[in-house]
Amino acid sequence: MEYWDGMKAIAPELWLTGFALLALLVDLLTKGRNSRTVGYVTLAGLGVTALALMGQSERVTAFGMVEVDAFGRFFKLFTLAALAVVCVFVMSDRRERQHGIGEYYFLLLGAAVGIFFMVSTNNLLLLVLGLELLSLASYSLAGFHKGNKASAEAALKYVIFGGLSAGVMIFGISLLYGLTGTIDLAEMATLGGEGLPRGLVSQLAASPIPVGIAVTMVLAGFAYKISAVPFHFWTPDVYQGAPTPVTTFLAVASKAAGFGALLRFLGVMFVRGDVQGLVADYGGQVGLLIAVLAAITMTVGNVSALGQSSLKRLLAFSSVAHAGYLLMGVATMNNEGFSAALYYMAAYYFMNLGAFGVVLYFEGVNGNDHIDSLKGLGRKAPLVSIVMVAFLVSLTGLPPTMGYYGKFLLFTAAIDNGMTWLAVIAGLNSAISLFYYFRIAKALFLEEPSDESVPRTQPIFTGMLTAFGVCTVLFGLYVSPIMQWVVSSMDLLG
Amino acid sequence: MTVPNEHLLFLAAILFAIGVCGFFVRRNSIMVLLSVELMLNAANLTFLAGSRMHSTAARPELSGPIFAIFVILVAAVEAGVGLALVIALFRRKQTVSLDQLNELGD
Repeated sequence: MEYWDGMKAIAPELWLTGFALLALLVDLLTKGRNSRTVGYVTLAGLGVTALALMGQSERVTAFGMVEVDAFGRFFKLFTLAALAVVCVFVMSDRRERQHGIGEYYFLLLGAAVGIFFMVSTNNLLLLVLGLELLSLASYSLAGFHKGNKASAEAALKYVIFGGLSAGVMIFGISLLYGLTGTIDLAEMATLGGEGLPRGLVSQLAASPIPVGIAVTMVLAGFAYKISAVPFHFWTPDVYQGAPTPVTTFLAVASKAAGFGALLRFLGVMFVRGDVQGLVADYGGQVGLLIAVLAAITMTVGNVSALGQSSLKRLLAFSSVAHAGYLLMGVATMNNEGFSAALYYMAAYYFMNLGAFGVVLYFEGVNGNDHIDSLKGLGRKAPLVSIVMVAFLVSLTGLPPTMGYYGKFLLFTAAIDNGMTWLAVIAGLNSAISLFYYFRIAKALFLEEPSDESVPRTQPIFTGMLTAFGVCTVLFGLYVSPIMQWVVSSMDLLG
Repeated sequence: MTVPNEHLLFLAAILFAIGVCGFFVRRNSIMVLLSVELMLNAANLTFLAGSRMHSTAARPELSGPIFAIFVILVAAVEAGVGLALVIALFRRKQTVSLDQLNELGD
């Protein structure tokens, strides 16, 4: 019976897998002519999975590998919500409506299965497999427009950098395994003594250097997924070359998954209550390493974004900078910082999905994503432009938006944990980001349009963007619903 | 006569170093993908050495070899997707050199 209990615990993953195969089958049966049906099947699958997720409440470990808990559920629901929006983007993207895009949905659902496993496991094998499943689906999605040179080039760059980071990460894991004799994070952190030199405790007592090398190598794999310096080189090229819905997926769902897995990795290994002594002390040093990475990441992201003329490249560097802000919460290595990171993630969901949605809209209008081509659109498409300004204000971190409150939480967490220098750097960075975000607003509202053509409107799409804009502001003023969800999701360290 | 574990680890470290060097030095995308395979195989060797170090006759430690099998699978799939993308790009540009990847950027 234990087997069926385990299957019940991973029901959401099974539903998702089932619907991924169904999407492929439907595409086959309709001979790729009716991609809209496949889109609806995908949306139904996301809905069913969300219901299955919300039905879970107890905390169990399935098959000794999959941890079913509220922390994982936060990231799973986040992924489903992001994917639903990406699906709507795909369905309403005018240039996307061609034959044979059924695999698009299949790959999206496959990536989601990877995310589900990677955010809910303490087992390094399952973590690597989930991460690779996500990566492989993302590579194929980035290169989905085979005929488009930019798309093919983006996918190749993505696959090559992905290969490097996967190689480094798996080598780091093999070192950790050699040092501790286990691939389970919880065992690694708490096991010790008993004849064979198992567990981190005895290794750290002997010498912290091998453990340091191994942990740094594993962090490289996460740094690639969240596009933190020095593994961010792929970000601008891939974001620019990939189809915009895929860029949205990479910027929101894939990055959140990387953070989910990173938080679990660090939390279970170094921070959790049953971790004591040397290992917990060592966690503080890892936190310092991450704090330095955070400072470099946000600075590189913001400074590089200043000179960009392509909107997608600009948002790519902005997403690098946001990875830096989020790492600030991770670096504190305690509940306060992790919760702040989770809240900021929720803020990031609204403002970034919104911003990429607007980019998709403007791409549909102009045929390209240059900032210059936005000139005067504030008069031609006032609603979308005003909503875009709300997203930009939130991305900068000004009140009254979610981005402001999220940054407030992150800054407080950093200062409370003796990282005032990091908060100061982050504050300076926010000031820098004001320049390039408001270049977009200036192009929209303060410059003359180059022609008089009026863009065609898509009511559903515009409505969705407006809803995102309203949420960004509303949840910034009225923070308790999301804050409650975040607090109840932080059972990772308990 | 058995091979000492240290030798396995040294070999793995050398393989990994060759892989990393190859990754940064080579300009041909197929050779770059090959370097990645070298890195993954270095990890496999370390997994097997680790398993040997932690096994006793009474309690064999098998998660290392199992991990290695999965890494072989991951490497194969990654090579499959990577080569498919190389071919897709070759059809457009008639080259597989990384120096010719210059469509993107400002």
